[in-house]
Amino acid sequence: MQRRTMLLMLICLAAPFAVRAADAPSFTLPELATGRMLSLESFRGQVVYVDFWASWCGPCRKSLPLYEEMRQQLEAKAFTIVAINLDEKRADAEQFLARHPVGYTVLLDPAGESAAAWQIKAMPSSFLLDTESRIVRSWAGFTTDHLEEIRNEILALVD
Amino acid sequence: MKFSPWWTDWRRLALLIALFALSACAHVEPWERGRLAQSRMALVEDPLLSAMNDHVYTAKEAASGGAGPAGGGCGCN
Repeated sequence: MQRRTMLLMLICLAAPFAVRAADAPSFTLPELATGRMLSLESFRGQVVYVDFWASWCGPCRKSLPLYEEMRQQLEAKAFTIVAINLDEKRADAEQFLARHPVGYTVLLDPAGESAAAWQIKAMPSSFLLDTESRIVRSWAGFTTDHLEEIRNEILALVD
Repeated sequence: MKFSPWWTDWRRLALLIALFALSACAHVEPWERGRLAQSRMALVEDPLLSAMNDHVYTAKEAASGGAGPAGGGCGCN
Protein backbone atom coordinates (compact mmCIF):
# COMPACT_ATOMS: atom_id res chain seq x y z
CA MET A 1 0.00 0.00 0.00
CA GLN A 2 2.82 2.35 0.96
CA ARG A 3 4.63 1.55 -2.28
CA ARG A 4 1.51 2.36 -4.27
CA THR A 5 1.12 5.71 -2.47
CA MET A 6 4.77 6.53 -3.16
CA LEU A 7 4.32 5.69 -6.84
CA LEU A 8 1.23 7.88 -7.06
CA MET A 9 3.10 10.75 -5.40
CA LEU A 10 6.01 10.38 -7.84
CA ILE A 11 3.65 10.45 -10.80
CA CYS A 12 1.98 13.59 -9.44
CA LEU A 13 5.36 15.28 -8.92
CA ALA A 14 6.66 14.31 -12.35
CA ALA A 15 3.51 15.24 -14.25
CA PRO A 16 4.32 18.97 -14.73
CA PHE A 17 7.73 18.08 -16.17
CA ALA A 18 6.52 15.40 -18.53
CA VAL A 19 7.07 16.22 -22.20
CA ARG A 20 3.65 16.22 -23.77
CA ALA A 21 2.92 16.81 -27.41
CA ALA A 22 -0.39 18.68 -27.52
CA ASP A 23 -2.08 20.03 -30.64
CA ALA A 24 -1.34 23.72 -31.01
CA PRO A 25 -4.42 25.99 -31.02
CA SER A 26 -5.13 27.23 -34.51
CA PHE A 27 -5.01 30.88 -35.59
CA THR A 28 -5.64 32.93 -38.70
CA LEU A 29 -3.93 36.31 -38.57
CA PRO A 30 -2.81 39.01 -41.02
CA GLU A 31 0.83 39.18 -41.97
CA LEU A 32 2.46 42.52 -41.15
CA ALA A 33 4.39 42.82 -44.40
CA THR A 34 1.70 41.82 -46.91
CA GLY A 35 -1.62 41.92 -45.07
CA ARG A 36 -2.56 38.43 -46.30
CA MET A 37 -4.22 36.10 -43.82
CA LEU A 38 -2.09 33.20 -42.66
CA SER A 39 -3.17 30.29 -40.52
CA LEU A 40 -1.18 27.74 -38.58
CA GLU A 41 -2.19 25.16 -41.20
CA SER A 42 -0.13 27.12 -43.75
CA PHE A 43 3.01 25.97 -41.95
CA ARG A 44 2.10 22.28 -41.63
CA GLY A 45 4.96 20.03 -42.71
CA GLN A 46 7.59 22.34 -41.24
CA VAL A 47 9.08 22.60 -37.78
CA VAL A 48 7.68 25.93 -36.53
CA TYR A 49 8.94 28.14 -33.76
CA VAL A 50 6.08 30.42 -32.67
CA ASP A 51 7.12 33.52 -30.76
CA PHE A 52 4.67 35.86 -29.05
CA TRP A 53 6.18 39.31 -28.63
CA ALA A 54 5.42 43.03 -28.27
CA SER A 55 7.42 46.21 -28.86
CA TRP A 56 7.16 47.19 -25.18
CA CYS A 57 8.57 43.88 -23.95
CA GLY A 58 12.18 44.42 -22.81
CA PRO A 59 13.55 40.89 -23.45
CA CYS A 60 12.08 40.98 -26.99
CA ARG A 61 14.73 43.54 -27.92
CA LYS A 62 17.26 40.80 -27.29
CA SER A 63 15.31 37.79 -28.53
CA LEU A 64 14.18 38.99 -31.97
CA PRO A 65 17.68 39.75 -33.36
CA LEU A 66 18.91 36.41 -31.93
CA TYR A 67 16.03 34.51 -33.54
CA GLU A 68 16.84 36.22 -36.84
CA GLU A 69 20.43 35.03 -36.51
CA MET A 70 19.16 31.50 -35.79
CA ARG A 71 16.81 31.63 -38.81
CA GLN A 72 19.71 32.55 -41.09
CA GLN A 73 21.83 29.71 -39.68
CA LEU A 74 19.04 27.14 -40.15
CA GLU A 75 17.73 28.48 -43.45
CA ALA A 76 18.44 25.24 -45.33
CA LYS A 77 16.34 23.18 -42.91
CA ALA A 78 12.57 22.57 -42.98
CA PHE A 79 12.13 25.11 -40.24
CA THR A 80 10.41 28.45 -39.93
CA ILE A 81 9.83 31.12 -37.32
CA VAL A 82 6.42 32.72 -36.93
CA ALA A 83 6.33 35.78 -34.70
CA ILE A 84 2.95 36.94 -33.41
CA ASN A 85 2.97 40.59 -32.44
CA LEU A 86 0.59 41.57 -29.63
CA ASP A 87 0.94 45.36 -29.77
CA GLU A 88 -2.31 47.31 -29.69
CA LYS A 89 -0.97 49.65 -32.38
CA ARG A 90 0.51 48.34 -35.61
CA ALA A 91 2.82 51.40 -35.76
CA ASP A 92 4.58 50.28 -32.56
CA ALA A 93 5.45 46.93 -34.14
CA GLU A 94 6.63 48.61 -37.35
CA GLN A 95 8.80 51.05 -35.41
CA PHE A 96 10.35 48.19 -33.43
CA LEU A 97 11.02 46.14 -36.58
CA ALA A 98 12.63 49.13 -38.28
CA ARG A 99 15.20 49.07 -35.48
CA HIS A 100 15.40 45.26 -35.25
CA PRO A 101 14.63 43.93 -38.74
CA VAL A 102 13.75 40.26 -39.13
CA GLY A 103 13.38 38.07 -42.21
CA TYR A 104 10.75 35.74 -40.81
CA THR A 105 6.95 35.92 -40.83
CA VAL A 106 5.42 38.47 -38.46
CA LEU A 107 1.69 38.23 -37.82
CA LEU A 108 -0.47 40.83 -36.08
CA ASP A 109 -2.88 40.09 -33.25
CA PRO A 110 -3.76 43.41 -31.54
CA ALA A 111 -6.72 41.81 -29.72
CA GLY A 112 -4.50 39.10 -28.23
CA GLU A 113 -6.95 36.33 -29.11
CA SER A 114 -4.21 33.93 -30.11
CA ALA A 115 -2.30 34.71 -26.90
CA ALA A 116 -5.39 33.81 -24.88
CA ALA A 117 -5.90 30.60 -26.87
CA TRP A 118 -2.26 29.60 -26.37
CA GLN A 119 -2.50 30.51 -22.66
CA ILE A 120 0.50 32.81 -22.61
CA LYS A 121 1.92 33.18 -19.10
CA ALA A 122 4.72 35.69 -19.74
CA MET A 123 6.07 38.04 -22.38
CA PRO A 124 7.73 36.89 -24.54
CA SER A 125 6.53 33.29 -24.80
CA SER A 126 7.52 30.80 -27.44
CA PHE A 127 6.50 27.35 -28.61
CA LEU A 128 8.21 24.75 -30.73
CA LEU A 129 5.89 22.79 -33.00
CA ASP A 130 6.68 19.63 -34.91
CA THR A 131 5.70 19.00 -38.55
CA GLU A 132 2.20 17.95 -37.39
CA SER A 133 1.69 21.26 -35.53
CA ARG A 134 1.94 19.64 -32.12
CA ILE A 135 3.57 21.58 -29.29
CA VAL A 136 6.83 19.85 -28.43
CA ARG A 137 8.15 22.42 -26.00
CA SER A 138 7.39 25.89 -24.72
CA TRP A 139 9.35 28.69 -23.07
CA ALA A 140 7.94 31.48 -20.90
CA GLY A 141 10.14 34.58 -20.97
CA PHE A 142 13.53 34.77 -22.64
CA THR A 143 17.14 34.59 -21.53
CA THR A 144 20.17 33.92 -23.73
CA ASP A 145 20.44 30.49 -22.04
CA HIS A 146 17.19 29.53 -23.78
CA LEU A 147 18.73 29.99 -27.20
CA GLU A 148 20.98 26.94 -27.06
CA GLU A 149 18.09 24.82 -25.79
CA ILE A 150 15.84 26.10 -28.57
CA ARG A 151 18.46 25.45 -31.24
CA ASN A 152 19.11 21.90 -29.97
CA GLU A 153 15.38 21.11 -29.85
CA ILE A 154 14.92 22.43 -33.40
CA LEU A 155 17.89 20.44 -34.71
CA ALA A 156 16.56 17.28 -33.04
CA LEU A 157 13.27 17.76 -34.91
CA VAL A 158 14.59 18.72 -38.34
CA ASP A 159 17.49 16.24 -38.61
CA MET B 1 -36.61 45.09 20.87
CA LYS B 2 -35.34 42.01 19.10
CA PHE B 3 -31.66 41.95 18.22
CA SER B 4 -30.87 41.03 14.62
CA PRO B 5 -27.34 40.68 13.24
CA TRP B 6 -26.37 43.16 10.48
CA TRP B 7 -26.01 40.50 7.78
CA THR B 8 -29.71 39.70 7.99
CA ASP B 9 -30.52 43.25 6.88
CA TRP B 10 -30.69 42.93 3.07
CA ARG B 11 -30.01 46.66 2.52
CA ARG B 12 -26.74 46.52 4.41
CA LEU B 13 -25.84 43.32 2.64
CA ALA B 14 -26.60 44.91 -0.75
CA LEU B 15 -24.44 47.92 0.21
CA LEU B 16 -21.58 45.63 1.14
CA ILE B 17 -21.83 43.75 -2.18
CA ALA B 18 -21.98 47.09 -4.05
CA LEU B 19 -18.83 48.26 -2.24
CA PHE B 20 -17.02 45.08 -3.28
CA ALA B 21 -18.20 45.61 -6.87
CA LEU B 22 -16.69 49.12 -6.83
CA SER B 23 -13.24 47.66 -6.44
CA ALA B 24 -10.98 48.58 -9.36
CA CYS B 25 -9.02 45.33 -9.23
CA ALA B 26 -8.77 43.51 -12.53
CA HIS B 27 -6.63 40.73 -13.88
CA VAL B 28 -4.29 42.04 -16.57
CA GLU B 29 -3.06 39.39 -18.97
CA PRO B 30 0.68 39.33 -19.80
CA TRP B 31 0.07 40.60 -23.36
CA GLU B 32 -2.05 43.51 -22.07
CA ARG B 33 0.76 45.10 -20.06
CA GLY B 34 1.97 47.52 -22.71
CA ARG B 35 0.83 50.54 -20.73
CA LEU B 36 2.32 49.19 -17.50
CA ALA B 37 5.65 48.83 -19.30
CA GLN B 38 5.80 52.54 -20.12
CA SER B 39 8.52 54.44 -18.28
CA ARG B 40 5.96 56.77 -16.65
CA MET B 41 4.45 53.71 -14.92
CA ALA B 42 7.75 52.74 -13.32
CA LEU B 43 7.86 52.97 -9.53
CA VAL B 44 11.45 54.13 -9.77
CA GLU B 45 12.32 56.75 -12.38
CA ASP B 46 15.95 55.78 -12.80
CA PRO B 47 16.62 52.14 -11.82
CA LEU B 48 20.41 52.54 -12.00
CA LEU B 49 20.46 55.63 -9.80
CA SER B 50 18.05 53.97 -7.38
CA ALA B 51 20.25 50.85 -7.15
CA MET B 52 23.28 53.04 -6.43
CA ASN B 53 21.40 54.99 -3.78
CA ASP B 54 20.31 51.72 -2.17
CA HIS B 55 23.89 50.50 -2.22
CA VAL B 56 25.15 53.64 -0.48
CA TYR B 57 22.27 53.56 2.01
CA THR B 58 22.85 49.91 2.97
CA ALA B 59 26.61 50.50 3.28
CA LYS B 60 26.11 53.54 5.56
CA GLU B 61 23.40 51.93 7.65
CA ALA B 62 25.03 48.49 7.71
CA ALA B 63 21.69 47.03 6.73
CA SER B 64 20.44 45.47 3.57
CA GLY B 65 17.09 44.39 2.17
CA GLY B 66 13.73 46.06 2.22
CA ALA B 67 14.21 47.88 -1.05
CA GLY B 68 11.81 46.88 -3.79
CA PRO B 69 12.90 45.81 -7.24
CA ALA B 70 13.28 48.54 -9.82
CA GLY B 71 11.37 48.63 -13.07
CA GLY B 72 7.85 48.78 -14.36
CA GLY B 73 4.95 46.41 -14.09
CA CYS B 74 5.05 44.62 -17.43
CA GLY B 75 6.19 41.41 -15.74
CA CYS B 76 8.55 40.63 -18.60
CA ASN B 77 10.56 37.62 -17.49
